[in-house]
Amino acid sequence: MKRLGPENVCSSAYNIILVILFCLAAYSGSAQDSVSAKNIRFIDYYGFPEGSSAWDDIGYNPKDNTVYVGITDHRDKVALYIYDASKDSIKLKGFISDLAKLRPYQWQAKIHTKFVAGSNGDMYFATDGGESREEYLMENPKGYSGGFMMKWSPSDEKLTNLGVGLQYESIKDIDIDTATGRIYSISYPQVHFLVYDPKANKLKDYGRLGSGHVPRMMFTDKWGNCYYVDWRQRLVKYEKGTDKLIFAEKSLPAFAGTPGEHIITGITAFAKDNKNGVIYLITYGAKVIAFYPQENGIGKTEDLGGVIDVPGKPKWNYYVPNLNLGNNGKLYYIIGGHGNYAKKDQSLFVEFDLKTKTPKVIFEYASTVLVEATGCDTKDKDGNMYFAGKRNVPRSSGKKGNLAELGDRPTVPFLIKFNPDKKVQ
Amino acid sequence: MKVAIAVLFLLCVFRLPAQYEFFAPKEAFAIEVSLDNTSLKRLPIYRNSISSLIVSGDQIIGGTTADEKLTPFIFAASLSKREVTGIIDLNEIVPGQRSISTGFTKRKNNILYAGTLPDKEGKGEGHLIAITIGLTEGLSIKDLGIPIPGEGIFALTADAKGNILYGISYPTGMFFTYSIATKSVKTFKDISPSRKDLRLFSEYLMNPEDYLCKALMEGPNGQILGSAPVNKLFSFDPVTQKIKIFKAELPEVWGRRSLGQIECWAKSKSGTLYAGNAGDGQLMEINPVTGEIRNVGKPVMMPRLRGLTFANDGRLYGIAGALPGYAHLFSYAPNKEGFKDYGNPQFKMTAPGIEQGIDWRGFQLGTIASSEDGKYVVMGEDEALSQLLIFTVGQ
Repeated sequence: MKRLGPENVCSSAYNIILVILFCLAAYSGSAQDSVSAKNIRFIDYYGFPEGSSAWDDIGYNPKDNTVYVGITDHRDKVALYIYDASKDSIKLKGFISDLAKLRPYQWQAKIHTKFVAGSNGDMYFATDGGESREEYLMENPKGYSGGFMMKWSPSDEKLTNLGVGLQYESIKDIDIDTATGRIYSISYPQVHFLVYDPKANKLKDYGRLGSGHVPRMMFTDKWGNCYYVDWRQRLVKYEKGTDKLIFAEKSLPAFAGTPGEHIITGITAFAKDNKNGVIYLITYGAKVIAFYPQENGIGKTEDLGGVIDVPGKPKWNYYVPNLNLGNNGKLYYIIGGHGNYAKKDQSLFVEFDLKTKTPKVIFEYASTVLVEATGCDTKDKDGNMYFAGKRNVPRSSGKKGNLAELGDRPTVPFLIKFNPDKKVQ
Repeated sequence: MKVAIAVLFLLCVFRLPAQYEFFAPKEAFAIEVSLDNTSLKRLPIYRNSISSLIVSGDQIIGGTTADEKLTPFIFAASLSKREVTGIIDLNEIVPGQRSISTGFTKRKNNILYAGTLPDKEGKGEGHLIAITIGLTEGLSIKDLGIPIPGEGIFALTADAKGNILYGISYPTGMFFTYSIATKSVKTFKDISPSRKDLRLFSEYLMNPEDYLCKALMEGPNGQILGSAPVNKLFSFDPVTQKIKIFKAELPEVWGRRSLGQIECWAKSKSGTLYAGNAGDGQLMEINPVTGEIRNVGKPVMMPRLRGLTFANDGRLYGIAGALPGYAHLFSYAPNKEGFKDYGNPQFKMTAPGIEQGIDWRGFQLGTIASSEDGKYVVMGEDEALSQLLIFTVGQ
């Protein structure tokens, strides 16, 4: 494992254990397939020892072949890191509250949105309250004032605050229409679909689309239309040509017996195959779906099966908050997180063959090596794919605890670089 | 023993930090009323904000408000079947309307009365409508015409006998009476805001919907009660045909007098009148004869008190708070616990295609009503896609 930052956040003993576990995982993988430990690398961040995690906040900038990640202490500090894939170097660009000149009452606990690139290489994202103060104190002055949409301009290394979405609401995800520069976003907890035009400074609220649990993922097609889901897990399309939301008549495929709380959460990951006009989706009900968008109306979908099938576990009950499409035409995703694992305390790195519609585990990691990964459709010009990962560390490491939903275990974040066809070590 | 310790450890480790539990009484449920692009009996997006609500027998009757350039619906849903049973597009009967926000007034012969607001302010009129509820199910709507040219209908009630309708016009805020038998209309300008009032409201960038009386109530002697700009309580005497403006003002949070506006009423079995003040969300107990107002208090931090209804447990249930914050269901029991806040209700919604049920959380609730026996309390959402949330109340 190559360390790129100056900060050493783990104890020596813990590092030794980590190396052994990683080698075991790599051996396990190499015994099954040509993909081996040489095809994957964990890249540590530096300069933010309190940083515990990344949420879907990773994205690729094709303009300069860089990968952006937001790392948070899940309290009130969010660091912006940029990994230069060409130079193989990672840099801490600063903290969001400082870069955006936020006041204490405008605290932000994390970035939950992906980073998306505008046509000129500016990178867009939005912020999130993401902790108990937002969840329970809400509109109280001790609560959360609301999430901001932001723009990072790499040319002058400047962060621009584009303003709040909805008062008191987080922003869970964004995407952009690169032709018009309009930003799509979804609010939390009220699930409002918003469209913001930065040129005109106009924000339009298209209303609430869900309820008890907010789907975390939105995505766009090549025409700049944006997709989300309603509470029935039906695709909802913002059709830019008509400036309207249109709803699919039928729900996305789901396994029989999928509980309502999984249906209402919708899509957890996507990856685009622009060449073939397909967008691959994974649902919270653990289905892999091919979606064929069209400029007008909602395109067709194809059920590709489950993300994995472990005997004794319901087919719908796997958590996959990440997805990438390799240049080899195969999907790659990591199963596990938020207390839901295919195997006890094990994250499974899976290769999904689209031709045979079959998943294959290529790596298995103990939670002390990789406990959860996020990130969609993040691939550099050389076909390297990226995920935002984190691992459990002992409480004795001095790290503070994480969220209760993650088991209160302290975690250390890192960037995952993977290429099934090339060595990345 | 080891197992017990392990379980205890896990319970400690995985304890949830939640500071609330969702209000989930037995038999609570949600009815899916709105869903776009479906063959199911549902209302389409942006035309379904439930702004009027009443329960008659097994039937929940709702009237909606639409977005600009769209038209509203009247719908019915069955408490026992837990589904929408009927939908009428108001545009097919009264074209050019955007909102039914007066609530429903039911007096006799299973007839409900409501008023409408036109789509274009100043370019159309509101109508009075009569909705006849079928014995089993089914609704029919009759257009009673335009009571005041150029004006919409912002608030409406009827006398106990069901002979006279009383209303507030929009945007000028005139009080009017309408005889159901003769269709004759009388208007009274006593409570319309004066020029001085309008200058004040202009200073605070307030629109008529921010200061006109949003709800009317009939008192024990047949008088009609409501609020009048600025921050006043008025009473209309149907015998003398006079309006009296009481001296006492609505309770205010210091400096916010201009926001005073009654937006809902409820009457207890014993005849005690309660009203909600939109301005800062105070619950008020009102003496209809003397006009004395007792400030009962504010159930939540945010303004608005959008609806009140008594249930058969003797509690007064209401909706407090609204955008940009979150609506809270609350109850008030003067001789028991006082105010109790239940937060956003979250009930299970089951329908064809979602048979397993999904949790429906009510963030923005605009209306609340009880069944005639007080067993059910029904809440209507104010959203782009609005649903009904229903819970039962024990004796």
